[in-house]
Amino acid sequence: MRNKADAPPQEEILAAAKPVSRWRKRSLSRRLVVVAAVWSVLALAVAGFILVSLYRTASERAFDAQLEVYAKTILSEMLPDAASTDVPRAQQTQPAIQAPKGVIEPRFSLPLSGWYWTVRSGETGRVLFASESLVGDPLSVGDMAGEDTQSAFGVGPGGEEVRIRQEKVRFGNASYIIAVAARTAGFRADLAQFTRMASLTLAVIGAGLVGAVFLQVRVGLKPLVRLQASLAAVRRGDEDAIDEDLPVEIAPLAVELNALIHSNREIVERARTHVGNLAHGLKTPLSVISNEARAAQGPLADKVSEQAAIMSTQIQHHLERARMAAQRRVIGVSCDVEPVLSRLCRAMGKIYQGRGIELEQVVPAGLRFRGEQQDLEELSGNLIDNACKWAKGRVSVTLRPLTSSGVGRELFELVVEDDGPGLSEEERREAVKRGKRLDETVPGTGLGLSIVADLAALYGGRLDLDRSKMGGLKASLVLPAI
Amino acid sequence: MRLLVVEDDADLNRQLVTALGEAGYAVDKAFDGEEGHFMGDTEPYDAVILDLGLPKLDGLSVLENWRRDGKTMPVLILTARDRWSDKVAGIDAGADDYVAKPFHMEEVLARVRALVRRAAGHASNEIICGPVRLDLRAGRVTVDGAPVKLTSHEYRLLSYLLHHRGKVISRTELTEHLYEQDFDRDSNTVEVFVGRLRKKIGSDMIETVRGLGYRLGDPVEE
Repeated sequence: MRNKADAPPQEEILAAAKPVSRWRKRSLSRRLVVVAAVWSVLALAVAGFILVSLYRTASERAFDAQLEVYAKTILSEMLPDAASTDVPRAQQTQPAIQAPKGVIEPRFSLPLSGWYWTVRSGETGRVLFASESLVGDPLSVGDMAGEDTQSAFGVGPGGEEVRIRQEKVRFGNASYIIAVAARTAGFRADLAQFTRMASLTLAVIGAGLVGAVFLQVRVGLKPLVRLQASLAAVRRGDEDAIDEDLPVEIAPLAVELNALIHSNREIVERARTHVGNLAHGLKTPLSVISNEARAAQGPLADKVSEQAAIMSTQIQHHLERARMAAQRRVIGVSCDVEPVLSRLCRAMGKIYQGRGIELEQVVPAGLRFRGEQQDLEELSGNLIDNACKWAKGRVSVTLRPLTSSGVGRELFELVVEDDGPGLSEEERREAVKRGKRLDETVPGTGLGLSIVADLAALYGGRLDLDRSKMGGLKASLVLPAI
Repeated sequence: MRLLVVEDDADLNRQLVTALGEAGYAVDKAFDGEEGHFMGDTEPYDAVILDLGLPKLDGLSVLENWRRDGKTMPVLILTARDRWSDKVAGIDAGADDYVAKPFHMEEVLARVRALVRRAAGHASNEIICGPVRLDLRAGRVTVDGAPVKLTSHEYRLLSYLLHHRGKVISRTELTEHLYEQDFDRDSNTVEVFVGRLRKKIGSDMIETVRGLGYRLGDPVEE
């Protein structure tokens, strides 16, 4: 009795065919979606970064421009009034400056308002004037380092961050540095708000893009799914050829596959014809030789008889196996079981008419064999013929689907029983040994059962022999269904 | 009993004709499908041995044509194509039995014997009529248990009459079933054989039905 695991499942063969990398084995659509998603996220991140830095630069510039306006106002306030100066300009050696007065901006007068200014001596760095808002606290400013204007972040009173704009002005020989500063809290908040909004917007766009890519891949790869389904239908035997109504990119693939299937069938058909011709060509001369030898007497005739018998069993054996080998390559064939069995039973009834064999059939319609009709005929023909040959008067043929097969594929079982002498346990074991040499075949059982066992195994099925309740042999043949 | 062998291989054809002739049959032969079909169509054979792979017209077509034309003689097909699909196709086309090549002559003889017997409605290999007993397997005739030696023509005549026991058989029918095709037929010889047979198995066994023919055994309703 053979184990179910002996049958070679197609998946294993496929898996063993070629080692493939994990990445290649993954789905094409996942690959497309992942690449598109990574690219979209990267592009959007870079765009977001650029957008935020542009916004920051523009905001800083606008801030600086505002500070500059105040600096200019302070400068104009520092200049001595023309009306109050009686001294002619030519006589003045040192231009007189005055403390800026008047309300430049009310916030400069409120203590620690966040808005500050100072005027320092360009030479000594001493603070000449400062806004009231500073309340004696210093405004730490950076070194001008030879520049005339400078904008930078610095630290204001109370340690808060401020934006400081400094400008160097000259009156005659003296130079002054006017520094205007403003608290950056609002600016920072604006920037953060902008960054948040931009990120959110870009994230939504990114999600939309990925979704669109996913949809595109799904819709775009749909013909591939259709091709796969069509190929599966051919393999199951539901269809003869792959549907060629596909987009131009993959239609040639379908056409080529169809050509392949067609040529596959042709090759098998040709091989079968050759095998048949060979059989015909050899068997007739063999009949002549063996009959001639049997009619003659003497040791030579005996030798010829014996050798002719060996030749004919060898031919039978190898032709049968050559036919089987040709069979396996055909994909996408199937046939109805019931008509095949009915035809066989009818033929058997006629052949064994003289012996008065009662042939009971329980053969439901609707089951399909996943394989060649000729093979099904060969398998069941040999079993029924064997049963009829040995039966005393009754043979029963029962067909049933195996629903709870538990091996993940559809199967059916054909049971042929007779009321003949049957086989001993030893003989039953011997009769179904796979790849058995003919000269070792148990006498009386013929080639039939060993061929059935071999052919069934090729289809991933099996033949089990047992003692029948009717008294003779019970042969259970399990085969793949659709 | 007259048979037809349709086989294109000359050696095999000769072997079959010889073996069947030795077994007591009148045997005609044909070497291709057209010839075989014509002979089967025009001559009344008791059985035909038909090879399937024939030149000119294949055996299956020959068989189908015969059956279509209402020929009901039993046909044994010889086939080298021994797949069940081929055998079933042969049976479906109207064959009664098949023998796969290569075969032993004994097998063909046994099958032919069974076919002829079945066609005449006999279940066993022995046909008994009163004291006369014909063992088909051994080709032996006994009367009251004592073996009787018969020539081949006498054997054929007795065998045909026994197969159709109780029926009136015309001289023409007997002639048709006793001789090979190329035998010089003369209906008088039938009377000669009947006379000899009467001497060997008992004169009252074969009844002459005036104007109609001969009958062996009690009459049966047809």
